[in-house]
Amino acid sequence: MSDWTYPERITFHDAIATMEVDFSGLTFADEAAVDAFYDHVGTRLTETGRRWFFLVIYTDCVVAPEVWRRFAERGKDTNIAHSLGSVRVDATAQTREAIRESAGKESFRSNIYNTRDQALLALGEMRKRQRETHSTAEETFLRVENVSLRFGGVKAITGVSFEIKRGEISSIIGPNGAGKSSMLNVINGVYHPQEGTITFLGNVRRQMRPHDAALQGIARTFQNIALFKGMSVLDNIMTGRNLKMKANILQQAVWLGPAQREELEHRLKVEEIIDFLEIQHIRKTPVGRLPYGLQKRVDLARALAMEPQLLLLDEPMAGMNVEEKQDMCRFILDLNDQFGTTVLLIEHDMGVVMDLSDFVVVLDHGEKIAEGTADEVRADPVVISAYLGASH
Amino acid sequence: MFYRENGQFKTTYQSDQQIFAIPQDRWAILAIIAFAFIGIPLLVDEYLFRAILIPFLILSLAALGVNILVGYCGQITLGAGASMAVGAYAAYNFLIRINGMPALAAILLGGLVAAVAGIVFGAPSLRVRGLYLAVATLAAQFFWDWAFLRIKWFTNNASSGSVSIADINLLGWTISSPTDKYLFCLGILVVFSLAAKNLVRGSIGRQWMAIRDMDVAATVIGIRPMYAKLSAFAVSSFYIGVAGALWGFVHLGSWEPAAFSIDRSFQLLFMVIIGGMGAIAGSFFGAAFIVILPIFLNQMLALVGGWFGVEVSIALVSHVEIMVFGALIVFFLIVEPHGIARLWSTGREKLRLWPFPH
Amino acid sequence: MSFFLETLIGGLMSGMLYSLVALGFVLIYKASGVFNFAQGAMVLFAALSMARFSEWIPLWLGMDNLFMANLLAIAVSAVVMFAVAWLIERLVLRHLVNQEGATLLMATLGIGYFLDGIGQTIFGSDIYKIDVGMPKEPVMMLESVFDGGILINKEDFVAAFIAAMLVLALTIFFQKTATGRALRAVADDHQAAQSIGIPLGRIWVIVWCVAGITALVAGIIWGSKLGAQFSLATVALRAFPVVILGGLTSVPGAILGGLIIGVGEKLSEVYLGPYVGGGIEIWFAYMLALVFLLFRPQGLFGEKIIDRV
Repeated sequence: MSDWTYPERITFHDAIATMEVDFSGLTFADEAAVDAFYDHVGTRLTETGRRWFFLVIYTDCVVAPEVWRRFAERGKDTNIAHSLGSVRVDATAQTREAIRESAGKESFRSNIYNTRDQALLALGEMRKRQRETHSTAEETFLRVENVSLRFGGVKAITGVSFEIKRGEISSIIGPNGAGKSSMLNVINGVYHPQEGTITFLGNVRRQMRPHDAALQGIARTFQNIALFKGMSVLDNIMTGRNLKMKANILQQAVWLGPAQREELEHRLKVEEIIDFLEIQHIRKTPVGRLPYGLQKRVDLARALAMEPQLLLLDEPMAGMNVEEKQDMCRFILDLNDQFGTTVLLIEHDMGVVMDLSDFVVVLDHGEKIAEGTADEVRADPVVISAYLGASH
Repeated sequence: MFYRENGQFKTTYQSDQQIFAIPQDRWAILAIIAFAFIGIPLLVDEYLFRAILIPFLILSLAALGVNILVGYCGQITLGAGASMAVGAYAAYNFLIRINGMPALAAILLGGLVAAVAGIVFGAPSLRVRGLYLAVATLAAQFFWDWAFLRIKWFTNNASSGSVSIADINLLGWTISSPTDKYLFCLGILVVFSLAAKNLVRGSIGRQWMAIRDMDVAATVIGIRPMYAKLSAFAVSSFYIGVAGALWGFVHLGSWEPAAFSIDRSFQLLFMVIIGGMGAIAGSFFGAAFIVILPIFLNQMLALVGGWFGVEVSIALVSHVEIMVFGALIVFFLIVEPHGIARLWSTGREKLRLWPFPH
Repeated sequence: MSFFLETLIGGLMSGMLYSLVALGFVLIYKASGVFNFAQGAMVLFAALSMARFSEWIPLWLGMDNLFMANLLAIAVSAVVMFAVAWLIERLVLRHLVNQEGATLLMATLGIGYFLDGIGQTIFGSDIYKIDVGMPKEPVMMLESVFDGGILINKEDFVAAFIAAMLVLALTIFFQKTATGRALRAVADDHQAAQSIGIPLGRIWVIVWCVAGITALVAGIIWGSKLGAQFSLATVALRAFPVVILGGLTSVPGAILGGLIIGVGEKLSEVYLGPYVGGGIEIWFAYMLALVFLLFRPQGLFGEKIIDRV
């Protein structure tokens, strides 16, 4: 471990905004080695004062199993502070094993490339996407900047920033209590963050009422279904059209005339959504009597009835069986395709998240620990360790 | 059997959106209304009009108002009696202070004033709910009780707070006989019920119910709680205010603030809960129940006393009456917490499927 | 100044009595989530029972000892209140578990009507005297401090003392006994309490019994001041703003709220009343509670409600 020096192993490629870290042939046998290495990386990165893509060469590098946790922790910190995204090249069998083991059975495939060229190609893609999101400032769809939310002394979210692009399906993942639901609540105005701003379609704001969010075209579904249980399915979905209905109270009392015309017009729209979600047979049923899976679907229908620009889904598959999950996945993909609705969802089922999402944000303890495509996130050691560390 | 619906198909959404989508229901309700207008005046004597039918109609209207607020919008009120008082006294002042003011206009204006008062005392609903809201409405009750008793301007300086009204006149029709009064109230009730049904099946009604069922979800959908709640308070108080004006103008003729005391508020709430919250028909069932029950009990007790040869004193009758009344209410809440309207609708669903159980 | 002090102390005294009724509300609300509108009817029922039994018992037993008669009457009335509590749990509450708040509220109103009715059917509906030997004569106090001193009813002092004793006893009961702990557990979380084997039904009976006892004490004190009569039933309505002000779930809140409302009522009636025609005390209490609610919706000591989405 003394036969190399750190400076040689860290190269900054300014042209492609990439920091290359070469672990080739290194052995991390104890935590001191890990610390020494990352301390050095940290110093070097801080000097640059900017964020980089990471290209990590793992060829013949050995991380001892017992220091893996430390390794991942330090990696996470570095990523949060300096990363725009990471690719890894040629990890050893042990390292892969460690990643797989920590990620659990199904969640992650390793985002590791065999050759440096492949990795650079992937980096190029990543850079392109990054450029797209950052260059179109005036067209920003949804940008969350440095948002912090506290309840009394409890920090729910700390300095989280990310961006969602129009037309994509994005996910927020993270262990329980990571602040995912709070994040959705901040975006649609239910919670008011103490710091930070939300930019939606060019409107910058910190605090807004849910009503304003709805006006701007943000709709959502709820984790524990929040349907209006005293009303029929049809009426529940019709409430989603409320913002678009203009007849005044007197006209409604008379009914005949404008109110009836309007009611019919919106009924047609609602029937389209009912057809789309295949719930024709239950339209007159009181929602309280429906099984759970169908209630989730009505919840989605109500949100869709708002014809939202951005649809927030809070654990749309929670508590569903496999068939119901498949249906729900199909609906999400279809509505994204058919109506062009941008979707931001929270979900625990990693298979679902990875299959659906164009972009994934990972939160842990209220902080963002990673973001990127499903593959990138899946391979990110920080993410893996967050999930591992959280599996009490 | 009773409802044979096969062969009836709805081909437009419009036909699906009717109040009574099943033709049998539609005909039945039209027949009932026709009978109420034509048949009852031919059959019924004055006592029934005065003691039962007119109070039933007016209290139905008030219960409708309470139901809009409590049943549809989920905001509790213990101040309905005050809204009736505001409606009655405001209508009275419009009538006596403005020359040539038509009585019907005064009644409606009274309702409007009650609506404004309702909004003012409903405003706390934006901050508090449940029992805490009940305090706000009780505050209204006690405030108006006091105001009509102590502020002489409201009662045109009548020393006892008692005011009286001559027979009212509607486009040349002097409403003086019990039959006239009955028909006048019935006409108003039919129009107001239809309007209420239209409101609750439309967009505003859905907003009210959304706030009632899950207020956070409602705001996320873009419903403004302030508009939904205050509109419910306004519409509800308008209905109750009109009922109050009718109670004073048509039923009582002359009245004191005590006519609209807190007992009236409780009574109206009972009607809605026993009749069925969130069901227009429930208001009628509840009003009928509460109007008829004391009369029935009164007769029964005298009868039962007679069997045993006991002279039942009036005081005792009234005590036993409230006792049985209380017990029946509790019994009813236990047996059918969702009210008579629920019994009615389950019965109807059964009839639609009859003779099959499912 | 001495007039102001007299009014203030008068307010504190009647506030103490409001607290007593409010305490009944809070106990039941904490343990069962029921807002007991029948509390006023219970006070009336207890007072009538007390008044009549203290009259009947000497007749039945042919004795002439006022003290013994009162003692027996109190014991009998307490048993009557326990029976009422047990019957309410058995016949009503047990069947209304998990119903909505409005339904429960209506049920207690129904119970209230029933108690009003049955109380007057059994015990009669005149104004009856309760004489437990409370001193009636007023005393002068603080003559050295003010010119003329201040005039205070001895009866009020005794009443306030009894009320304070009751509160103290209840506090000890809640804090120090196993039953008290069970009660507090139930108040925190019905289901959790049930799951660790606390019998809900029995707890409710106990709470209603305790509420019955506070009703009895309130009934005796108010009854000996004003006579046992129907108007006692309305004290529930006067105590309602007290609990709202203090917070529905807080015993100290009920006490402090009662004092604030008592003083507020008296001061407003004396200093504000003459300008607006008098009789403002009842709605003034409500307005006071209402204004307070707008700034602090959970009351003085109530628990803050946080919505989770």
